[in-house]
Amino acid sequence: MTNQTKSQFIAVASITSELSAVMVVAKEISLAAANAKAIAFRAGDKAKGFQPITDFINELAKETIELVTNINIYALVLYRLTVDEFQKTAAYNKFELAAKMAEGAVYAKSMQEPVDHARLSMQDCQRQFKRDVSQLLGQLEAVMHHARAARVIAANSRIEASQAGEYLQSLQAVAESVDKAAHTIHDNVQRCRIALSIYRNS
Amino acid sequence: MKMTKIYEGSHQWIMFGRDEGKPNNIIDTNQYVVRTANRCLLLDPGGAELFAPMMAAVLHHAPVDQITDLFASHQDPDVISSLGLWDQALTNAKLHAPAIWEGFLRHYSCESIEYVPIPDNGGTIKLESVELQIIPAHYLHSPGNFHVYDPQAKILMSGDVGAAIEGPDSPVFVDNFAAHVEKMRYWHQRWMPSNQAKRVWIERVRNLDIDILAPQHGRMFKGDDVKRFLDWFDALQVGIAV
Ligand SMILES: [Fe+2]
Ligand SMILES: [Fe+2]
Repeated sequence: MTNQTKSQFIAVASITSELSAVMVVAKEISLAAANAKAIAFRAGDKAKGFQPITDFINELAKETIELVTNINIYALVLYRLTVDEFQKTAAYNKFELAAKMAEGAVYAKSMQEPVDHARLSMQDCQRQFKRDVSQLLGQLEAVMHHARAARVIAANSRIEASQAGEYLQSLQAVAESVDKAAHTIHDNVQRCRIALSIYRNS
Repeated sequence: MKMTKIYEGSHQWIMFGRDEGKPNNIIDTNQYVVRTANRCLLLDPGGAELFAPMMAAVLHHAPVDQITDLFASHQDPDVISSLGLWDQALTNAKLHAPAIWEGFLRHYSCESIEYVPIPDNGGTIKLESVELQIIPAHYLHSPGNFHVYDPQAKILMSGDVGAAIEGPDSPVFVDNFAAHVEKMRYWHQRWMPSNQAKRVWIERVRNLDIDILAPQHGRMFKGDDVKRFLDWFDALQVGIAV
């Protein structure tokens, strides 16, 4: 296996692992939102500004989970493509070697067709991989966008929490956990993007 | 890769082996090719490592598009781990292999090649006017195992039965049976699991008219050495690891 294929396998595998962490965190946000909703309900008027925020957080978490689910399906496609490309490349190299070893054989020329065919399908795979990586990067960008939005909401939540009297601490904790989760998502997705960016269509 | 023509008549048998480019840590194998006017059958085509030298060697006898049939006596990697590569090189080929191994062998990738499952009681492979018999050899050593008999050439390709571990320069035929026995004893005792299967196979094979017994490793047996081998094998206790 060449270093190029090795790192491609690693890049694709790392997406799946980073994304499963993102999934866990997104579910945490969703939980934090439910928690916040309950507190805001109890706090009544004191947390009036907080109530729409909890709905928003919940919505955001749901969308993130949906996006990540889609991306995971995509990552699987990308993995299959990587396996395919690896096999096609291995075949192409072996075919070239066979053609070279067959020099002088009566039917040496008949190897040309398999060699050409293998080269084409290997290149097809490479192109397809690049196309799919570009699309995946787009989807990852959308998750990043959600994470940034979540951080803005967390900042707003903190301000609203400060007016919630005795509920200040628990609401602040909610804001804190949303912020932390958004941060983690941002970092994980960023790592995916860096791992993939070298394969994008240039 | 050394090539030895072992039959020349209406069709040909060629033995390929003693590959000098082979890495030291993989077992040396014999591949056999049956060549008719427009078709070509590879018997136990070998491991992935052997694909390029084997393909190159075959090209001395047939063009790629006339490699129409592959046969795998059983599922072992030294027999057929090259399948995924043949699968990408050949556009119109069949793999004749034990039915019970189909789900396993497909792990090597078998998409463009048609898998022709051989039922437990064997069958035939037709190559233009040549009809080869597929002889059951189950548990010798694999649970689903076949040999190929050519009644016209009087050759029995016997897979791992008759095998021996040999050096790269050793001759392709047994020349001193008594001396050769020592190279085969442990192999057969350790790899062959069933005395009963062995007995049944010997009975079946004694009914065939065999000039050459052609194993997948080591040397071929010719003439009287075929009978010598069957007698020796008959008397051997196998399945010694338990
Ligand atoms: Fe075997
Ligand atoms: Fe073998």
